[in-house]
This record gives sequence, structure tokens and C-alpha cells, in this order.
Amino acid sequence: MNDEQTRARFERLLLPLLTDAYNLARWLMKNQEDAEDMVQDSYVKAFRFFGGFHEGGNCRAWFLRIVRNTCYTSLEARKLKEKEVPFEDYEYDVLEDPAPLPTAVLDKSATIQGVRKAVEQLPAEFREALVLREFEGLSYKEIADVSGVPLGTVMSRLARARNQLQVILLEQKKQEIL
Amino acid sequence: MNCEECRELIDPYIDNELDVSATILLKSHLRECPQCRPLLESRKALQTLLKRPELQFEIPDTLRGKIRSALPDATVRAQHRSRTRSIIPWVFVPFALAAALAVVLAILKPGGIPDRSRTNALAEEVISSHVRSLLATHLLDVPSTDQHTVKPWFDGKLKFSPPVQDFAEHGFRLIGGRLDYLDGREVAAVVYQRNKHIINLFIWPSESAPSAAAKGFTKDGFNVLHWESDGFEFWAVSDVNAADLKAFATLELNQS
Repeated sequence: MNDEQTRARFERLLLPLLTDAYNLARWLMKNQEDAEDMVQDSYVKAFRFFGGFHEGGNCRAWFLRIVRNTCYTSLEARKLKEKEVPFEDYEYDVLEDPAPLPTAVLDKSATIQGVRKAVEQLPAEFREALVLREFEGLSYKEIADVSGVPLGTVMSRLARARNQLQVILLEQKKQEIL
Repeated sequence: MNCEECRELIDPYIDNELDVSATILLKSHLRECPQCRPLLESRKALQTLLKRPELQFEIPDTLRGKIRSALPDATVRAQHRSRTRSIIPWVFVPFALAAALAVVLAILKPGGIPDRSRTNALAEEVISSHVRSLLATHLLDVPSTDQHTVKPWFDGKLKFSPPVQDFAEHGFRLIGGRLDYLDGREVAAVVYQRNKHIINLFIWPSESAPSAAAKGFTKDGFNVLHWESDGFEFWAVSDVNAADLKAFATLELNQS
């Protein structure tokens, strides 16, 4: 396959994934500018490693894994630079209890901004699992591939992500009432 | 099924990841258990909430264009140009300046009338090889950070024995080697990494009288340095900046 053909195939397979890639990066990086940089880097990397991707493979999972790893590399580097300001806030981590939430709270009252904020408050691993499942629609197996963790870990991360999200949304609601 | 198991399985259940028998058990538990039903309902409500299409982020208008220009389009052009190398390269201001400087330097040296067209053509060929090595799967034949692995590998493949050394402590990490084809012959490509950038160092036995002057070229964001030492021709190429490449070349020169 010559370069032009490779380039055409790359664009045909990878450019339709831009929305998915950008959304994943946006959720992980929590801001537009970084997300754009990560997506751009990811495309360049994907192009470089494209030879290692086989026709018929799961292109979406393959590419989202690159996006995910690019974001993490950048977040890790930042973490090292800003040691005194931890980028993740783990205070929700202790809230193990599923705490069933009155469904009414979640109905109409939660604003888009509120939900986004709540998702962003989740610890990175939980947020990643939730985003891949709910927004990218990946199966557990695909999430395991993208995140490089076993299926059981995917399952428990998702459960904890949802538990914490419910708690955060409930807290939001309480604050509004006060 | 008890409540604890139910809580364990509620997420795979709503995600359609549960097998049939577990699904049946879970459903019958949920029918009978007033404690667990609210959990299912709140999970479903959460899912409905997260399904709202407004939650999806819009792609910024400029991103698509940025990606297209970030993709190594220029490198594809470079390869294309190298195929029509016999035609005089047409847009090449920094290169022309570097070449002019090289010529001046070479003329100042006694006895050094350089075969300019040959080195220019080779510099382009070197860039093309570098680009090809990055685009294709073929960056490394022997992936190793150990010079004592890479060097013997070359010795078994080539008629000459290229110098191979790791400069990891100076920020140029040896990552392996491969065979390449340049200037009509088989050459050694020793591959280094500088941060995220790849440096290809092409080595083959020198046939001309050695010239001490190193020559620099730049094109399409790639820097090339050429020097001769110990009976070998060295061509280093990378997208690292010129200063880094020079530092790398200096390390190479000093080890031999």
C-alpha cells in the first residue's frame, strides 16, 4: 500500500471518530483547550502507529485507547509539575454506600451544567469508565481494552462511579434547596 | 440471590452485560425485594439523565483543520518529492542557505570541493528514509536499548561494523536498529529517542576522502547533520531542533 492509499485509509477509518475522541478527551482533561491538543496529538500518534492496526480490528477501541493514554500521559506530567496541587480530589472515594437516590431528584431538575460538573468531580478512573460506557457506548470488554484493566475492575469502577455520581447530584440538589 | 449479590450485579444488568441465568435470578430478586428496587430505579434514572444529547460536547470548529494540518502531510510531500529527485528541488530557502554555508565552509577548507548535488540529494534521501521509518511499521528490526544487543545484530547483517552507543544519560536513548537502503547500498540505521522525537542515525563506510566539516540541512521541519569520522559516513536526521541534533552529533563524534 503506498502512502496516498495509507493516508486515505487512515482518514476513512479515523476521521469519523473525531466526535468520540474529542468527547473522551474533553471529559478526561476537563477543558476545551487541552482536549483539542490531546485529540490532535492522538491523531498524529495514531497515524504513526497505523501500520500496527489491522483491518477488521476494533478501530474505535484502538483509537480511543490512544486518546486515553495521551490524556493520561499529559495529566501525569502535569501532576508531577504541580505537586502541591493534586489534580484529583478523592474525598468522594470513601462514600461506598450505593445510597439509592430518589428518582425525582434526577428527573428534570438536574441541569446540563450540574451533570457535567458532577461527572468532572469523579476521580479520573471512575470518570473514564463512566464516560466510556455512558457517552461512548462501549461494552465492558471494550472498556477493559481501552483502559488496560481486567473486566472485574471495569465493573467495580462503573458501580462506584455511579454511586458517587448519585451522591454528588444529591448534594447539588441539597445545596440548591438551602 | 441476596441483596449484596444484587447490588454487585445491578450495573452489569442495566448495561446488558449479564448472562441469561444471572438476569433471571436478579429480576426475581428485584421483584421480591423492596430494598433493592429503589437502587435499580435510581440507576435507571441516572442513565436517562446521562443519555441527554446536550451532554455531548460539540467539536470546536477549528479542530478538524488543526488535525489535518497536524497529520504528516508535509512528510508525504517530502517522500513524493524525493521520488522525483532528479528534478531540481524548487522551494527550499533554509536548505539553500544551509547548503550555501556548507559550500563556503567546504571551499575554505583546502582541497575540499564538495560534490554538492550528491550531498543535497543524499540529504533528501535521508529525510525520506526517516519519514518512511516513522510512517510504516518498520522503524526497528532489532528493538533494544542495549548497545551490546544492537551492535552484534548489525555485525551479522552487514559487511561492516557500525559504532553503536547508548546516550541515555544525555537524553538520547538508544531504542534499536534496522537495516535501510541509502545511496545505493545497505546501511545501518541506529535509532535513538529524544523525549518524544525519533532520531535516525544512518551509518555506512565512507568512500571519499574524509572531510572534517559537518554539514547541516533543514527541510520541512526536519534537521539533518552529516559528518564523517573513523572511515564512516554519518547522517543524523530528526524533527528535534538543530541544537539538540548538534548535541547528539557531538556525543557521537566524541565517542569514536
